[in-house]
Amino acid sequence: MLQIIRKNKIPYLFILPFFLLFFMFQLIPTVWTFYISLTNWKGIGAPEFCGLENYKKLFIDNMFWAALENTVVYWISGLIIIMFLAVVIASLLNYGHLKGSTFFKTVTFLPNICAAIAMGLIFRMLFDENAGLINEVLKAMGIGKVPWLTSTTFSKIPVIILNVWRNTPWFTMIIFSGLLNIPRDYYEAATVDGANMWKQFCCITLPSLGNILFFCSITLTVDSWKLFNESYILPGPGTSNTSLFQYMYESGFNIFNMGYASAIGVILILILAAISVVQLIARRKQEKI
Amino acid sequence: MRKKMIAALLTGTMVLSTLAGCGGSNVPKEEKAQEIKKAEAGTEAASKETVYPSGTITIYGTGQPQYLQEYFDAWLERHKDIAPDVKISIVQTEGHAKSREKITMTALSGAVDDLPDATYLDPVNIMELSQGGLLKDETEFLQPYLKDLVDGAANDATVNGHTYGLPESVRPNVLFYNKEIFDKYGIDPAMMSTFDGYMEAGKLLKEKSNGTVYLSYISPGSKTWRYWGRRGLMPQANAKIWDESGNVVIGQDEGAKLALGTLDTMYQQGLLLKSEIMEPALYDAINNGQVATFYIGAFWDEFLRKNCGATSGKWRVMASPEFESVGKAGAPVSSYFCIVNKGDNVYAGLLEQLWHDFQFDAESRNTWVKSMEKQNAPYANPICLKLLQDDFWKAPSDYYGGQSFREMEGKCLENGAANLVITPQDAEADEIISAELETYVAGNQTMEQAIANMDKNLKAKIGQAKIMK
Repeated sequence: MLQIIRKNKIPYLFILPFFLLFFMFQLIPTVWTFYISLTNWKGIGAPEFCGLENYKKLFIDNMFWAALENTVVYWISGLIIIMFLAVVIASLLNYGHLKGSTFFKTVTFLPNICAAIAMGLIFRMLFDENAGLINEVLKAMGIGKVPWLTSTTFSKIPVIILNVWRNTPWFTMIIFSGLLNIPRDYYEAATVDGANMWKQFCCITLPSLGNILFFCSITLTVDSWKLFNESYILPGPGTSNTSLFQYMYESGFNIFNMGYASAIGVILILILAAISVVQLIARRKQEKI
Repeated sequence: MRKKMIAALLTGTMVLSTLAGCGGSNVPKEEKAQEIKKAEAGTEAASKETVYPSGTITIYGTGQPQYLQEYFDAWLERHKDIAPDVKISIVQTEGHAKSREKITMTALSGAVDDLPDATYLDPVNIMELSQGGLLKDETEFLQPYLKDLVDGAANDATVNGHTYGLPESVRPNVLFYNKEIFDKYGIDPAMMSTFDGYMEAGKLLKEKSNGTVYLSYISPGSKTWRYWGRRGLMPQANAKIWDESGNVVIGQDEGAKLALGTLDTMYQQGLLLKSEIMEPALYDAINNGQVATFYIGAFWDEFLRKNCGATSGKWRVMASPEFESVGKAGAPVSSYFCIVNKGDNVYAGLLEQLWHDFQFDAESRNTWVKSMEKQNAPYANPICLKLLQDDFWKAPSDYYGGQSFREMEGKCLENGAANLVITPQDAEADEIISAELETYVAGNQTMEQAIANMDKNLKAKIGQAKIMK
């Protein structure tokens, strides 16, 4: 091993900074989180070992289950809606006859560069039950007021919309860059063979984007499980739209139940690891990697 | 040999000078300690001898703390002799819990120098920070002043016999009502002296206004528990979350049923406008005459004055309604000025003197209050009994149609209910209780189910609270 390192000193030196930072800011804190999850630590004083007490509490905590359920909803809805919209918008931007494509590309990317909290505040005003623009429009259309953020039924919808609105541009740009790499010859050959646009999309575009879409789905999955800003700035009643990440934050930094928050963090790590492994296996089975 | 002697001499000199260097650094430390000790005595005489080092004192505050800067700056100007180069900087935080969060995180990171010198806190957060040894014990300093302060001023900052905060304000829970609305519909506000009468007034308002006027508001968020529950109906109904041993009893407690049942009755009868408090939508409703009363702490005065100018002169204040079976008025809400334990907090003595003058020096306090009034800015009644006797604190208020808000604030402290017992688990308990109450307000469960779920979840997540004497 040492010989290999000595032989390839330069490449190893190049990757050293990453691994140093990874160890310092990711691996050590992760191990520390595992340890803290086994303690009753309030943030001040020495951690008091309590074994699996925090994990036992998690299983009977209905707020945790509600947050977990909400996060699954955000993940599935985000994955479906964002991926669909990103592919459609990227395909439209890639359409050869589109006039003013530079303008549209810029406009498409704008939501992603806006500050999440500022956008959240604007969305909160838009979805206000009594004075929000959305309800005013609905009222003008003869539909009654919708309690967007004051009912457990609707409170997840504004969060999903904000999440989709903010994240679609980023994935659009990634998919768009993938589309640019597909050789035009394929489409020309398909056109000569009489394939229509839909057939070309299904048989050329989607398979060619396979790796990119896989990357996007992994990134989106991780992002969805880490969703925080959107649900934090658009709170609904109780835990009706609280995300798991937000619940972890609130347990840790509002209540200072660091041990409990760490246990939630460990569960999050395990869930994400499991999902990533499943996605990877599925992808390998398709023999695409 | 000569070389060896020279080497030995040089070594000896170096060791001595090193020791002298260490000793040298001890002298200012001792002086500093003496300075601090003198300053901590907090007396005028002691502080006159002490000159505080130049620097900036950082204070965390909530609400609109920037208005205190005016008092602090004027005070520093008058105390150039002891603090010639000291400045005070107020950092606004979202709430007391946020102040606690910032202090805990800073202490946790070991950046002691970045800790504020003082912070305004409520009892729940004092409990948490004092447990972590982050607040200065003020028991000894405060002792001579307690007899001059309103009853129980320091009670909520006392943990295990030690007081960790200097009382800043003790403000009662009161009933604000829009007299014009009551006059318009011919309803006598005096009927609101009891909760039965309060609900009856709400029904009459609803009937006579064809449902356009609400008795009050209900927040879809955590403010319902904070203002209607923890600070309002619960103490007045003598309700309990924990028993004397710290066991969860909210599910069986008759007081809790009475308190939350009253809120349930008002909400089910459509007497409460569902709207977040301190938000534009509610201010619009108030300015449009849609909300007739507010059962809330006296602090609401500053929000009304600032945001509801259209209703100036229409509002009046009276004591909170009482439950006939309990017979207690609204519970007081106390706020404390806490000095942070940050190793050598060199300004501790100065801050104690500042607190002393703010509470006991009538002239400077009255000047500041007059200025606040001109700016429509917030201020609270003093807690010094002598100051409260001054006619200045009985002056009529234009916003309240000539009624003296200041005088009423003092009067409403009479016969106040005792606050809920505070435990180190209350921050977590508040989250659990509030979540169930929010689900109830959203219409997803009945109040009976909400109370049962509060009880179940408190038992599951907290089990037993630690009761501090």
